[in-house]
Amino acid sequence: MSTCKSLTRICAQSSRSTFLPTTQRRHESTARRHKKLLHVQQAPSFTPDRASPTLIFNPPSSAPSVYHTPLKFLPREDKRKDLYQKALNLSMHAALRTHTPNVAAPGTPLSAPSNLPPRPSNALPPAVRTPYDKKYHLTDVEIDDIRRLRLEDPEYWTRARLAEKFECSQFFVSLIVKAPEKAARVEGEHAKMRARWGERRTRARVDRARRKELWGRDE
Amino acid sequence: MKRIRLSRCGAQLLAPSPPRRPLCPFAPSLQRTITPHNHRIQSRLQSTAAGTVTEIDLDDFDVAEAVADELPTRPDSVRHRPRELLPSPEPRLAKQSAKLAALRSRLSLPPRFPLETLARTLVHPSADPDPAFNNGSLSILGANLLGYYTTEHLTCNYPRLPMTVIFAAQYAYIGPKALATIASEWGIEAAAEPGGEVDPGLLQFKRLRSGQDLPEPLKGKKAPRKWNVTTTNRILKSDEFGSQHAGHDPQALQRQPIPMEEAAQSFVQALVGSLHLHLGSPLVKRFYRDHFLSRHLEMDKLFDFRTPTRDLSKLCAREGFEAPVARLISETGRHTNHPVFVVGVYSGKDKLGEGAGSSLDEARTRAAAAAMKGWCLYRPLEVTVPSSTEGEVDPTKWKPNMIDCGEVIV
Repeated sequence: MSTCKSLTRICAQSSRSTFLPTTQRRHESTARRHKKLLHVQQAPSFTPDRASPTLIFNPPSSAPSVYHTPLKFLPREDKRKDLYQKALNLSMHAALRTHTPNVAAPGTPLSAPSNLPPRPSNALPPAVRTPYDKKYHLTDVEIDDIRRLRLEDPEYWTRARLAEKFECSQFFVSLIVKAPEKAARVEGEHAKMRARWGERRTRARVDRARRKELWGRDE
Repeated sequence: MKRIRLSRCGAQLLAPSPPRRPLCPFAPSLQRTITPHNHRIQSRLQSTAAGTVTEIDLDDFDVAEAVADELPTRPDSVRHRPRELLPSPEPRLAKQSAKLAALRSRLSLPPRFPLETLARTLVHPSADPDPAFNNGSLSILGANLLGYYTTEHLTCNYPRLPMTVIFAAQYAYIGPKALATIASEWGIEAAAEPGGEVDPGLLQFKRLRSGQDLPEPLKGKKAPRKWNVTTTNRILKSDEFGSQHAGHDPQALQRQPIPMEEAAQSFVQALVGSLHLHLGSPLVKRFYRDHFLSRHLEMDKLFDFRTPTRDLSKLCAREGFEAPVARLISETGRHTNHPVFVVGVYSGKDKLGEGAGSSLDEARTRAAAAAMKGWCLYRPLEVTVPSSTEGEVDPTKWKPNMIDCGEVIV
């Protein structure tokens, strides 16, 4: 069967008034072509380039096992420390000799997690929260100031406001001075609010707390 | 060339040794049936460990009479009763029990382990109050051995485990539930009611009826809720599982109804104890490895961190690493209902742990927990457990184990 249309049919079509181009259009009209389309090339890691048996290492994209102690956590006298270091050096040499595509840089969606030592790269992924150094800059005078302000007017001088003013953390403010009356009042307000919750919201909050406990178990 | 026995060379100079007590009441009858004077058995009988422990076992047991009659006998008031009125089957019936023989071969125990002892391990003190016939003393020995082997395995293989996790792992390996499961896997069946006429291959104990209260010794005293029971206190004062009360004396359960779990547990412990007495510690260690250590325990599921991020930063400060920083490795669907964030915790350039979660906080916490687990679940490559050097003459095989500086205290 010929796949080309006969000249007469093309001529007949062109007589119609249409804005479509008159070039020949081909569709996937046979099963063979469909099959050919479905044929996906095998992953390169599964097609060995030599006849001798080779090791295929294609780990699934999953978090590393907790039983594989990170290099930093190995004690000094452990033999694995040297082995990991050697493997890291080797991979660094290999990486420096070969061209690394930019798409596979860490932080990009294509960077594959692997149990191999990570590719040597200076680019670490971005931090979740901006890292900061502890300053330890508050002196006794300022601490007394914080205490005085908080006790004078706990309504205005909240922890957040004091932390912003003195450039410390809210937790640090709470360590220095406590306003128990305000805390009791706020807690009472919250309890009143919670009492107004319906069944669904209460259950949702309880479930959320329960889920949060699972974080620490990493389950 | 024949080995010279050094101990015999100067024997005439020493005080006459006291008449030797046979460590095993069944030893005379055994030596008649099997190869006489196997030097392995001899060396085992000479070991101090078995001897000292047996003292407890045979305390209220008339050894001379046992040697004379080969088997322990009941007091005269009980001896002439009909079989149905005896508290537990007579030891001499053990040879006729098909169940006992099947159990011995199912557990691959050598034939020199007597069926009479196997029958005795199946009799709980609640069925037979006579300490010469029940398994109370054997179960004390067995419980200590199981605790020893499990503790040394855990502390040598995982030197950085926190104490609470060690307690949980102990409970998982040799706790009452685990031992009851092991007994049921071995095919142990319980007699409906203990007595002299039942098959000696059945587990004999007085059953707790449904709705009945636990006996006093099993209840234990719980510390009041407001007491702060510290881990140190639990190490010093409680049993090997760190529970709030110390273990009970098995003989205190005489004639009291008990649950099946308790009886099955005491059977497994008594079996280990009697194996130690009859076959020696190398075989017990192999038995322990095959039946207890071979059970798979997911150690990483035993952890429960409340503030993993804080623990990790304290740990890094203690060990002199750079402070841990959470970094976003990848994310998807940030503005959808089901986002996924993959966060790694880095110290300097090294990744310590990785976690995924549906919020940045969750992923960060999970990553910190994974990093803490990575620290705690460290296993050294070469481990020599202390019990492996028992009876060894060559001390060069011993390699000191790693000892970590302790838990992270926040």
